Amino acid sequence: MAVELKQVSVAYGEQGALRRVNLRVERGEFVFLVGATGAGKSTLFKLLYGERRPTEGEVWVLGQPVHRLKPRELPFLRRQMGIVPQDYPLLPRKTVWENIAYGLRAIGYNESAVRQRVAQVLALVGLNEQARQLPSQLSGGEAQRAAIARAIANNPPLLIADEPTANLDPDTSWEIIELLLRINLRGATVIVSTHNRTIVDRACQRVVAMDRGQILSDVPRGGYPMELDRLYASVLL
Amino acid sequence: MIDRIRFVLHETWESLLRNATMQAAAISTACIALILLGGAGMALYKLDAAASALPSQFEAEVFLKMTATREQALQLKAELESWQAVAQATLTPREVAWEEQKQKLAADVNLADIPNPLPDKLTVRVRDPEQLPAVAERIQQSPLVDEVIDSRAELQTVLSLSRLVRWIGLGAGGLLLLAALILIYNTVRLTIFSRQREVRVMALVGATLRSIRLPFILEGMTQGLVGGALAATLTLLAAALLSDYMTEQWAFLRDLPPGLPPLVVLVGLPTLGALMGGLCAWWATLRYVRI
Repeated sequence: MAVELKQVSVAYGEQGALRRVNLRVERGEFVFLVGATGAGKSTLFKLLYGERRPTEGEVWVLGQPVHRLKPRELPFLRRQMGIVPQDYPLLPRKTVWENIAYGLRAIGYNESAVRQRVAQVLALVGLNEQARQLPSQLSGGEAQRAAIARAIANNPPLLIADEPTANLDPDTSWEIIELLLRINLRGATVIVSTHNRTIVDRACQRVVAMDRGQILSDVPRGGYPMELDRLYASVLL
Repeated sequence: MIDRIRFVLHETWESLLRNATMQAAAISTACIALILLGGAGMALYKLDAAASALPSQFEAEVFLKMTATREQALQLKAELESWQAVAQATLTPREVAWEEQKQKLAADVNLADIPNPLPDKLTVRVRDPEQLPAVAERIQQSPLVDEVIDSRAELQTVLSLSRLVRWIGLGAGGLLLLAALILIYNTVRLTIFSRQREVRVMALVGATLRSIRLPFILEGMTQGLVGGALAATLTLLAAALLSDYMTEQWAFLRDLPPGLPPLVVLVGLPTLGALMGGLCAWWATLRYVRI
């Protein structure tokens, strides 16, 4: 089991709160989390990497009870996760290469391992030529790929991406999803939140729909197209 | 381990170079606070030393009766010196005192033919100035003693002044230290806000709290150290200039005990600055660096 939420509630304000959410994601799965803004997708992600605590219920990630972990234990869980949050900023004064290396150095990789891993992930996300460029010199898609590269540099078994296609054109969005699918094929569990129906339809993966802090439906891989039509009608504009 | 240390030092160094305006603000804040603290410390040290030295100059003058013989005077001297509170008793024989008096007044009056009107005198110095009134009281009870003059009122004034100087020193020093701590804390807090991206990235990739906080603490220590070094230099420079000027103006200042040794200031202020900077940064990171 990669992720399991049991009767999880988070109480704060109206938007983003969760109400008795149950969710299981097996290792190696690719899951889309869809829902309108304020449905609770980002809150759910924050629960997974321990940035928020559930008001009640249990959150298990890679066999660890995140709801019970102490702050000093969280870093060791996060090293097994790649996190691409919605507000994930690349460090503007560092090149793509340095941005990826930064994360590895921060968790104690030695320089030779850093060089090796950065080269590998740059090749995987197709940013070899942009390695020495600053974030301001990248396109939106390239910046997102750089953020994904940093998240997977540690070769984590679980990748969480919050709206990785936001503000990207359809072709670039699909490139990002293709990259995430490739990472999933290499064995990582991938959970992606999105508003973008086109890419969800095209990827043909499991879709979990959220609305007002609850899971409305959970359409398994290949469960097309009627269930998704119904789902979109209810949760997306 | 070496790579980790290098990463932390690199982060600290980059941050120091990057936020030049912020660094200038932090260093000048630490510098000003430490100049105030150092200057006040030096001045109060000197004042306290002076205030502590003054009471020891107070002594009781014991005038014996004209009927007291030299032998009795010497016996009384020996008795007084055996008292725990008495540090020293000096006998001035009446003939010596009279000679001195005659020489002093020689220009104005001829005292050669006048019989000596002065009695023997004992000068009594006590170990603790606060005991002087009690000792004087006790000496007065001796049948050999005519009068005891102990400058009690002046002594009380100096003792009160000495206590006041110490309390003002403690109070002012404490307030300045608190102000310096708050100012440095605030600057480190602003530095943390300006580096929220780095903090967030480090937290999300799984860096430990300690490795996220350490560069800020080192940065705070560096700011304090540099501010302290500048403050020490400026304080000593100002002290040297002021000291020359003041001793020219008021000669009595030359007799005051020496102030703090320069080495204490040169080592003390940067060390204090580094400790303050580190403490404030640690305090600020506890509140504002979370994962």
